[in-house]
Amino acid sequence: MSRWTKFLIAVILGTAAGLFYGWVVNPVEYVDIAPESLRVDYKSDYVLMVAESYQVDHDLGLAVRRLALLGSSAPADIVANALSYALQHEYASQDLSLLQSLGEALLTWNPNQEIPTP
Amino acid sequence: MKQDHRGSWYLLTGALLGVSFGLFYSWVISPVKYVDAPPYALRADYKDDYRALVASAYLYSGDLLRAQDRLAQLKDDETGQTLAMQAQRALAEGRPEVEVRALRILAMTLGGGVTPDTSGVTPTQATTIIPPTSAFTPTPLLIEPASSLTITLQISPTPLSTLNIPESTTIIQPVRTATPSPTQGAPFVLQETQLVCNINQAEPLIQLEVKDAAGQPVASVEAVVTWDGGEDHFFTGLKPELSLGYADFVMTPKVVYSVHLADGGQSVDDLTAAECVTDDNSRYWGSWFLTFVQP
Repeated sequence: MSRWTKFLIAVILGTAAGLFYGWVVNPVEYVDIAPESLRVDYKSDYVLMVAESYQVDHDLGLAVRRLALLGSSAPADIVANALSYALQHEYASQDLSLLQSLGEALLTWNPNQEIPTP
Repeated sequence: MKQDHRGSWYLLTGALLGVSFGLFYSWVISPVKYVDAPPYALRADYKDDYRALVASAYLYSGDLLRAQDRLAQLKDDETGQTLAMQAQRALAEGRPEVEVRALRILAMTLGGGVTPDTSGVTPTQATTIIPPTSAFTPTPLLIEPASSLTITLQISPTPLSTLNIPESTTIIQPVRTATPSPTQGAPFVLQETQLVCNINQAEPLIQLEVKDAAGQPVASVEAVVTWDGGEDHFFTGLKPELSLGYADFVMTPKVVYSVHLADGGQSVDDLTAAECVTDDNSRYWGSWFLTFVQP
């Protein structure tokens, strides 16, 4: 076996070791993530919490700001996705009703009427 | 015949180059992506938002088990304590009153086992028994956002017996029975005012202990201390090593203070730093210990 072949084998083995260390042993840790990166069931529960809170404060602007933490999609889309997930996973009917109420309220939401929060 | 005396260093060089490339690729070019992260990995300020949201949702539902389940996802060491401290921070930062109140109520409920006072809210769910087969009337939801995505969802009632729910959303149908609580919402009254002499306590304090009707300490109770030209607020529950119902405030000598709990009730006036005397006639500051109880 030539030197170059051995050298290339060493490089490949080293790369494999580096990848294993970087991906498995000591991967990059995201300890300060945003809600956008939450798992879909947590996201759906987050949206459900927003819907429950909306029933208390009836503040659609606040609900939209909270939903905005889940990504750049339109708030109505975020609720629709959560509702879709809730339907697939057979959430309780009152939870579905809450999500639906929020989704319907968002249809009437006009961002131009929103008063910026200091 | 020519002989190579370079040894095997080239193998080590190759391995190091490979490791370097592997680490660069796995840490920089294509690091592990956490797209399915749990709530405990949230940044601290997002965790605050999450707690506030849990508390606000709890105001609506009154479902303590669900609130506990949600908070457990954050893996806080002391859930009630964390909520109490966040309530205090929220108050200091001028956060909306409803948020502060929600945090206080949930902290108090978790800390002291107190039935939450959700008066002032219009809970339709907290007082309604949801039948197992809901009478929910399905209506189509047509969401037409700005994007081209149009979703039409038809909701159909689902029997609870077939629930198959994700891990994070444990749907628990609470038993919504009325809780006997004759003293719920009653303001705390002053039971005792006592000068405490503790030579190890260097500064004069106003110390509070707040207990519910069962004699249990109550966390997250806001106290207001006023003096000529000033006012401050402090909360019970921030020194759980002493008591969940304990709070204190450092007095300035010669200043006259009044203390009352924020939810009303009796005010304690004319509190000033008082001195204690040891056997050898040396003097040190004493502290006023006020005990408030719910009748």
